[in-house]
Amino acid sequence: MSRPLLSRRDWLRLSAAGVLGSSVTGWLPRLAADLAADPRRRRACILLWMDGGPSQTDTFDLKPSHPNGGLFKAIPTNVAGIQISEHLPNLAKQADKLAIVRSMSTREGDHSRAALVMHTGYTPAGEISYPSIGGLLARELGRDDMVLPQFICIAPNRGVSPQAFSSGFLGPRYAPLIVGNANNLAVRPRGAFDYETALRVPDLEPARQVRPDHADSRIEMLQEMDRDFARQYPGTVSASHQSAYERAVKLMRTAAAKAFNLEEEKSALRDAYGRNLFGQSCLLARRLVEQGVPFIEINLGGVNGGSFGWDTHGGNFDAVKNLSGVLDPAWAALLSDLKERGLLDSTVVAWMGEFGRTPRINPQQGRDHFPTAWSTVLAGGGIKGGQVVGATSADGMTIKDRPVTTPDFLATLCHALGVDASKQNQSNVGRPIRIVDKAAKPIQEILA
Amino acid sequence: MLRRLVFLVVIAATATPVLGAESSAKESAALAARIDQLLGERWDNAGVKPAAVAGDAEFLRRIHLDLAGTVPPLHVTREFLADRAPDKRAKLIEQLLAGRRYVAHFTNFWRSVLLPENPNGDNLGLRVSFESWLQARLSENVGFDRMVREILVTAQPRNRGEPVNFAVDGGQATTPIAFDLANEGKPENLAGSTARLFLAVKLECAQCHNHPHAEWTQEQFWEYAAFFGGGKANGKASIRIPKLNKSVSAKFPNGREPTFTQGSNPRTVLADWITTADNPYFARATVNRVWWHLFGNGLVEPVDDLTQEVDDNPLLEELAKQFAEHKFDLKYLIRAIVSSRAYQTTSAAANESADDTRLFSRMSVRALSPEQLYDSLAEVTRLPPTTAPRDFGTGLVQRAEFLSRFARQNEKATEAQTSILQALALMNGKFVEDATSLERSEALAAVAQAPFLDPASKVETLFLLALSRKPTAAESERFVRYVTKGGPSGDAPRALADVFWVLLNSGEFLFNH
Repeated sequence: MSRPLLSRRDWLRLSAAGVLGSSVTGWLPRLAADLAADPRRRRACILLWMDGGPSQTDTFDLKPSHPNGGLFKAIPTNVAGIQISEHLPNLAKQADKLAIVRSMSTREGDHSRAALVMHTGYTPAGEISYPSIGGLLARELGRDDMVLPQFICIAPNRGVSPQAFSSGFLGPRYAPLIVGNANNLAVRPRGAFDYETALRVPDLEPARQVRPDHADSRIEMLQEMDRDFARQYPGTVSASHQSAYERAVKLMRTAAAKAFNLEEEKSALRDAYGRNLFGQSCLLARRLVEQGVPFIEINLGGVNGGSFGWDTHGGNFDAVKNLSGVLDPAWAALLSDLKERGLLDSTVVAWMGEFGRTPRINPQQGRDHFPTAWSTVLAGGGIKGGQVVGATSADGMTIKDRPVTTPDFLATLCHALGVDASKQNQSNVGRPIRIVDKAAKPIQEILA
Repeated sequence: MLRRLVFLVVIAATATPVLGAESSAKESAALAARIDQLLGERWDNAGVKPAAVAGDAEFLRRIHLDLAGTVPPLHVTREFLADRAPDKRAKLIEQLLAGRRYVAHFTNFWRSVLLPENPNGDNLGLRVSFESWLQARLSENVGFDRMVREILVTAQPRNRGEPVNFAVDGGQATTPIAFDLANEGKPENLAGSTARLFLAVKLECAQCHNHPHAEWTQEQFWEYAAFFGGGKANGKASIRIPKLNKSVSAKFPNGREPTFTQGSNPRTVLADWITTADNPYFARATVNRVWWHLFGNGLVEPVDDLTQEVDDNPLLEELAKQFAEHKFDLKYLIRAIVSSRAYQTTSAAANESADDTRLFSRMSVRALSPEQLYDSLAEVTRLPPTTAPRDFGTGLVQRAEFLSRFARQNEKATEAQTSILQALALMNGKFVEDATSLERSEALAAVAQAPFLDPASKVETLFLLALSRKPTAAESERFVRYVTKGGPSGDAPRALADVFWVLLNSGEFLFNH
C-alpha cells in the first residue's frame, strides 16, 4: 500500500509557509485539477447508506435454489463465479471493482441503535458522544485550510439516530454539512420532491433583497465588530465564532462551492446517474471528491427522497426492485465516472445499511430485521475488487464462513483509506477513544 | 400597523410595574454574602484579584438571558439604564424570578438536562407533556425534591405492551413519564441516568465491568438498578446481572439496605432516600448544576460526577446545606447566586490573575442555548414568540428547524463551537432576513420610519435593541457616518438594515457575556 509522501502535518506546515500557494482561493482550483494526476493524492470515501436495512437475499447474496430466495433471479457478473441480483445489471458489469462481504454479523436489530453502531463502530454507553465514522475520517483525511466542509451528508434520515450523523466528541468542526433537505421536520411541498434545490447548500447566498455592495459592507462591518469583541472577550467561544464566520464567508465566495451546481455537468452524464435524489447525490459526491472533500455520505431512503425505504416488512419484492432501479444506475455510473477521471484508485465507495433482512419471507411478502448474517460492499481505492468474502448457509439464516463485525468492517474501511484505525481521540468524558475498537480485525484479503 | 404604533410608543418611553419582593429575599441575600465570603477566601489563597463588577448594561443583558431566556426588551433596557435607584439590580432580579419567562426558560433548561435528545427520535407529544409538567411545577416553585420524586415514581405500567403515546394536538397530558420512556423503561438506563442527574455519581461504566478508577463495582451498579424493575426475591426487589448468571437485591449507593413494606414500590423507596434532606449527594448535585448553568462552569466538574473531589469545597457544601434547609427552593438558590458579586463580575478581559474563569473571578462568555437564541431573535425583531410548547403549527416547525440547526451536543456553553451552517443561517437565512427586512421587520421598520429620530438616535436604538447598550463613541461615529451616507448605494434605510444585520450577527449578540 502506498502512503502519501506528504503527511497531513506536512501539508499544513507547507501551506502555512506559503510553499503550496499563499491564498486558499488561489491554490484550491489548481489543487483540484492536480488531484487526479497526483498518485499521492489524499484518499476519500463515499458511503452509500441504505436507510431501513437492505435485503441481502435480494441484492448481493441470492439463494436461488432455496424457498427463502424469493422472486429474484441471480445473474452472472463480469467476474466468473460471482452472481448478484437481476435488478443490478449495470453493477454486474463492474463486479471486478466490488468486494462483497456476505458474512456481516452484528447484534443490533433496532433501527436507531443499529444505525448508530454502524456509523460509530461503538455501542452507545453512558455519556460518551461517539462521532460518526464520517467525522473521524474527515479529521484524519481532511485539511484545516480547506474551504469546503470535510464531511458532507446528503439527505440523511437523522430522525433515526441524530448521533449517527454527528461529530460527537470531535466537536462541530467535523460535524457534517447537511444538504438534500435532511430536516425531517420540514413540511415538504406536495408533488415531486425537488431534489435540485435540496442538493444546494442552504443559505449560501445573501437574501435577494440585499444588494451585493451592501452585502460586502455588512461583512466588513461585522468583522470589525467581532474583532473588537474578541479583543475584549477573548476565549474559545468568540474565537470559534470568528472562525466559523470566516469559513462561511469563504464558502460563500469560493469557486469550490460550485461543486454544488450540478447544472455544470453534461446532460447525458446526469441522465446516466439517474434523475432522482440519489442519482444526483452520487454525481454531487464525485464533484465534491474532485474538490478534495474526504468523506461524503449519501442516503438512499426512498426512490426519490424519503426514509426507511429498505425497511421492507411488507411488499419486499416490489420495493427492492424499485430501489434497485435507482441504486444500480447511480452506483454503476459513480464507479465508471470515478474510474474515467482517475479518481477511483483513491476513493473508497462503501455500501451498507443498519442491518440485513430475514431470509425467511413473512406472510406479507416482506422480510424483517436481521443482523445475524447480511451483506455489505466495498469498492475502489485500497480495495481488491472482484471477490466475495464470507458465506451464509444455504437458507441464508446463519454464517457459514468468516463472520465480520461492525468494527472489523470499519477498520477495513480505515485501512483502505490509509488511516490508522487504532489512533486515539480525546473524548468528551476525558478518556481517549480509538477510531475503531482495538478488537477489530480488518478483512486483509480484500485490502489491496 | 397597530402593533407598529404600539411599538413606537415603546421606543419613546414606558413605565415598569414593580413587583413585591418574596419572603425569602433576605435569606437569599445572606447566602449571597456567604458565597462572596467563601469565594473571597479562595481568591486570596490563589492570589487572585477578581475582575471589576459588570456595568449596568452588561448585568442587565446577562441576568435577562439567565433568568428569562431572552435579551431584555427595549423598554426594560431604557428604564433600567436610566434608573438611579441603588437597589435596582435586586428589584430586577425579583421581577424576573416572578415573571412568566422565568418558567419558560427554566422549563427549557431542566428539559435539556433531564431529557436529553432521544436517540430514538423525539416524540413531540411526550416532550410537550414533560414541558407542561415542568411549567406547572416551576410556576408553583415546588421544591426540587418533590419534582425529582415525581420523576422517579412515574413509570410506564410494565404489563402494557404498547408504549405510551400522547396526542400532539390538544392533549392535556402533564406528566414526567417522558423521563422513564427516554430511558426505555430499562432498569440499567434508569439507574445510570438517575445516579448521574440526581446524585452526580457516574455509575454507567460499572454497568458492564468494574471500572479501574472508580469506586463503583458492577455489583453495586446492579444493586442500584434493582430499584427500577427486575423482579422480587425473598420479598426484596432484585435483578439479574446479564451474562454473570447472578442475582442481586436492591441496595442504596451508600451500601444500606432498604426496608420494603408490603406492597411498597421500590422506586418510591428509592425516591425517599434520594430526596431526603440529609442525603448529601442530592443537594450537592443540584446546586452544582444550577451554578454551572449560571456561570458556565460548575463548582466541581464534571457536573455529573462529583465523587472525585467534593471534600475540599466548602462553598459547594455550604450551598448544598442551605438548599436542603430551605426545602430545595430553586428560586431561593438562584436568587442567592445571581445576587452575589461573583455572578455580577464582568466577563471582559481583566487582569491576568482573574483570567481563569473556573475560579469565578471573572464571568465566562457563554454560548446561548438554541432556545435562548431563537427567543432573543424573536424578542429583538418582534416576531411572534413561539416559546409556548403548545403552540403547534408553522411557528413550531420553524422553531424546531431553527433549534435543530443550533443544537449543541454535550458541549459546555463556555466551549461551544459555531458551525458553518449556523453562520450561514444567521447571515443569509430566512429568519434574520425577515428580521432585517424593511418591509417585514416590525422593529426595523419602526426605527427606520420614526419621524422623531435622527440617524444617531436610530443607530442608538438598534444598539439598545440588539445589544442592550448604547454604542461607544467610535461605534456611533462609524455607523452614523455609514447610515447618513446611505452605505455604498446612498440608500439610508438600506444602510440602517445593514447595521441591524451586523448587530444580530455579532458575537456580542450571539453570546451571553
